[in-house]
Amino acid sequence: MASASRKFINNDLGLVVTFCLAALLMTFLSYGLPRFLPGDFVTATYGASQVTLTAEQESALRAYYGQGRGFGHYLSRVARFDWGYSYVFETPVSALFFSALPWTILLMGSAHVISMAIGFVAGVEAAWRRNSPFEKAMVGGMTVLEGIPEICTGVILLFVFALQLQWFPAAGAETAYAEKDFLAHVADVGHHLALPLCTLILAYFPGNFLLTRNSMIMVIMADYIKTARAKGLPALRIRYVHAARNALLPVVTRFGMRLAFMITGALVVEKINAYPGVGTLLYNAIAARDLPVIQAVVLMSSLIILTIFFALEFVYRFIDPRIHHAR
Amino acid sequence: MHVNVHGTLRRDPWFLSGMTLSLFFLIVTLLGPLLVPFSPWNMDFIPLSPPTLTHLLGVNDGGQDIFSELVYAIRNTMIFGMISASAALFMGVLLGALAGWFGGVVDLILMRLADVLLATPAIMILILVAALFRPSPYILALILSGLMWPTIGKTIRAQTLSLKQSLHVRAARQMGGGSGYIIIRHLIPEMFPLYLIGFAAKARMAMFMEASLAFLGLMDPSRKSLGMMISYALKYYYMDIWWHWLFPPIVCLSLLIMMVTFLAISLEKVVDPRLRVNLHGRTS
Repeated sequence: MASASRKFINNDLGLVVTFCLAALLMTFLSYGLPRFLPGDFVTATYGASQVTLTAEQESALRAYYGQGRGFGHYLSRVARFDWGYSYVFETPVSALFFSALPWTILLMGSAHVISMAIGFVAGVEAAWRRNSPFEKAMVGGMTVLEGIPEICTGVILLFVFALQLQWFPAAGAETAYAEKDFLAHVADVGHHLALPLCTLILAYFPGNFLLTRNSMIMVIMADYIKTARAKGLPALRIRYVHAARNALLPVVTRFGMRLAFMITGALVVEKINAYPGVGTLLYNAIAARDLPVIQAVVLMSSLIILTIFFALEFVYRFIDPRIHHAR
Repeated sequence: MHVNVHGTLRRDPWFLSGMTLSLFFLIVTLLGPLLVPFSPWNMDFIPLSPPTLTHLLGVNDGGQDIFSELVYAIRNTMIFGMISASAALFMGVLLGALAGWFGGVVDLILMRLADVLLATPAIMILILVAALFRPSPYILALILSGLMWPTIGKTIRAQTLSLKQSLHVRAARQMGGGSGYIIIRHLIPEMFPLYLIGFAAKARMAMFMEASLAFLGLMDPSRKSLGMMISYALKYYYMDIWWHWLFPPIVCLSLLIMMVTFLAISLEKVVDPRLRVNLHGRTS
């Protein structure tokens, strides 16, 4: 029975069902939870004011702010990118979200790519030089760094590089109202990106390094590495073609678990550096109690995270053929 | 399941520094109210004054003693982490052992639920609940533990599956031991080192989440917390408050997270060689 259930879980269908259920859970929570609140935006705004609304006006306002109606209606609105209007900015929530999203993708994407690449190479090299002073120093330093959350590195980097040395700007993603040619614009964006990017890399890099190093040490002890050495293959080839491929597996599988930390960290880092991404949008919405924005940002980022998870499952199958053939 | 855990751990510098830190923070947590010179909610002092002998870390913008705030903040973060990690551990061990022991439909349902929860981003649910209802931190801690148990549950389930086949469990079964008896007397005590790892890892996640939620302004503003102290102090970044107002909570938060990280990493190192043999494949 256990093998039967495992087979089901490793099944493609099982995977799809899991992710659909998770997506549905998030959508239902973002639909259902606000329903438990007493009153709504319309009564809150007009209840105590001099204006008396007629029944039609009230229902028109409710429809405008997208309240009432059932779960099916909500689902279709989510799918149509019609997420209601922000109470504070009085613009469509989707416009706010999509103007913030590219900055977050730029920040998080480059942070992940860079920290994965250097963390992986450093981990492989460290495992190869096991028990050397270089490896010991690296492991020690990375373990300490792993214990420093993004709030702390972010504030310290801000203090040193933005306020004391003034090498990097303390806020924003580009210089406002500047008329520049393309190259100068790219340089400007990179200049603004540097501080939040470094904070995130410092937060992600130690985890990637330690995971790669640990799994690489296990891989190096395997027999097939001994065979490869006995054949007289060059060390670089053994390290990266034979060993590193298998050492990559835990890094990818643990990625999902670490993603919870990473998302939280990215929210905080965007807030510290006032980077105009989804995290800052969410922060401002929380501060202003802007419900539709909170609701949509939470739901949309959850769905994006779920999609990333889902894609990772296939990456994992691709780099570990055992999973595929085991069935 | 029998390793010389004590011998290896006693010589591990990471474990020792983790234990030293946790001893220090436990004392702060337990004796906190006795250590502070003022109530952290007392607003009688001159706002934004620099450190003096009476106010070791100065006074914040609301006229409150920063040192007292700091002690209470550490206390709150520790308590949040402990509650959340204990509840997650309890749920994970219970549900994991049940799923592994009974197998079949119970296993299928519990593990599918675990998969769904693993895929849902916990922070988003917490933000939604915290922003809408402003619940007490204890409720948030319990919600978080309800979302965090699957990693522990899956490890425990895999371990239960292999223990189920071991000789002494089969003997106990042959002699007529019931499921409840075997789970409580044989399975749960045997997996002991796994609990410590799970607890440390979840406490780390919970403290990190608490600090971040408070930093984002989602916690009760009258409740002292490290994240909120940092966020308030950052509003006065242009003043000379960095050394006595901003850095103390940053250092304390780092030390707290380091404490649980060191413990988790050192414990994992001790238990891992065997885990790798028994739990081959995906456990996360």
